[in-house]
Amino acid sequence: MHYIEVEDLSFHYEDEPVLQNITFTVDPGEFVILTGENGAAKSTLLRNVLGLLKPATGTAKISPINIDQEKLALGYIPQQVASFNAGFPSTVLELVRSGRYQRGKWFKRLSKEDHEHVERSLKAVGMWDMRHKKVGDLSGGQKQRISLARIFATDPDLFILDEPTTGMDSSSRRAFYELLKHNSEVHKKGILMVTHDHEDIKAYADRHIQLIRKENSPWRCFSMDSCKEPSKHPSLSH
Amino acid sequence: MFFYGFMQRAFQASFIIALIAPVLGLFLILRRQSLMADTLSHVSLAGVALGLLINVNPTVTTLLVVVAAAILLEYLRSLYKSYSEISIAMLMSGGMALALVLMGLGAGSSTVSIQQYLFGSIVTISSQQVALLAVLGVMILALYVLFRKPLYVLTFDEETAFTAGLPIKWMSIAFNVVTGVAIAVIMPIAGALLVSSILVLPAAIAMRLSKRFDLVIIVGMVIGLIGMFSGLAVSYEVGTPPGATIALIFILIFMLITAWKKARMLMKRKKNASLADH
Repeated sequence: MHYIEVEDLSFHYEDEPVLQNITFTVDPGEFVILTGENGAAKSTLLRNVLGLLKPATGTAKISPINIDQEKLALGYIPQQVASFNAGFPSTVLELVRSGRYQRGKWFKRLSKEDHEHVERSLKAVGMWDMRHKKVGDLSGGQKQRISLARIFATDPDLFILDEPTTGMDSSSRRAFYELLKHNSEVHKKGILMVTHDHEDIKAYADRHIQLIRKENSPWRCFSMDSCKEPSKHPSLSH
Repeated sequence: MFFYGFMQRAFQASFIIALIAPVLGLFLILRRQSLMADTLSHVSLAGVALGLLINVNPTVTTLLVVVAAAILLEYLRSLYKSYSEISIAMLMSGGMALALVLMGLGAGSSTVSIQQYLFGSIVTISSQQVALLAVLGVMILALYVLFRKPLYVLTFDEETAFTAGLPIKWMSIAFNVVTGVAIAVIMPIAGALLVSSILVLPAAIAMRLSKRFDLVIIVGMVIGLIGMFSGLAVSYEVGTPPGATIALIFILIFMLITAWKKARMLMKRKKNASLADH
């Protein structure tokens, strides 16, 4: 089964094509990175995959079920999540707890297991001691970390991450990649991550999709570098 | 003043409004729709004018017009995602213009009634209006208790809510419709010009006092009760318009709390500086 299946996708802003002939899959247990120069429509591609934007042609599908045949849980971190509403009246703990709601808890009380999950996630990003702080009072880096804690609290089957390591130092970045790798290898999570961090990520990613502008295409239109896709063992695998 | 039936009903109505205002107000503020209450109250004037023109109970026409406007608002908001205030500006002026045109068509006979809706009259409230408010109050509080978790995520970030599987479009429309219904019911009491201050100010003040989401609403209710009750009492004793007195008291509470927070921060800084000196 595929967690993500994109087939011959094209996307236009008004009449202008920005993505063309995109085909790829992300399977359970796969850690796939998506790269490309600035303005290469990487976030646009993610938003097509998520259903936030509609492709002009082709399809982008996310599996409704996970490998255990249960409802698939999706965790998404948008780009610049750290710029979220500074005045949002919520504590760190409330926000990270909200990551558990989509685990069947919209209308139920969180269980002891949910609370333990939240605690572990906050401790994993080093924010447990800050749990009673107001989210708006945190620094950009701290907001980034609680966004990650929120997504780990959800414990999704599929991670879709848009430059989640912006503003992190290299050791935190490596620890984060380590955690993602562990999630994909051991827990069979699917991961699709936009990143600029080509070098550090090499040791962790299973597959690399690069968006490039081909010589004969319009100046803003990007498609996939077919050399690295759909090979299952590309140059970036470790 | 509690011996008078009209004052008893005014306090009952104030009590209910104080409980529901912070619930709607907080979500309006966080969804950057603080002015939506103002817009819908302007639009509701068009509903009143329409009712008076075609000789139908204005409450019915107001409800219909406001619900239609609340749905239209969500559509306009989707057209201008980054500048959601455009939808508010468009509908506010459109609603007011429609009200004025309909009033013009009514040949001036309804001017007095329209004035009542513009400025409101909490002391002429009927027991039917109190009953209608009570039903509205129970409905809004029940909806909040039931949907507070989805609403929290929707308010935090709509895209996160969408990817978590929430029907964000329907939730936004439902929220707008509930707000519209609340405004249509509260507007004849608080007045079209002041209804948004009564909805938004208690939550805005509470946001400065609490860092926890659920506590903001409870603190907002307490502030709402203090402002509404003291405003009514002052207006009774001094003879000022109740709606305006209540709005001014909320603004006074806001100023006092802002000054207190500022003073506390300065004192804290001073203390830290003197500790650093030693």
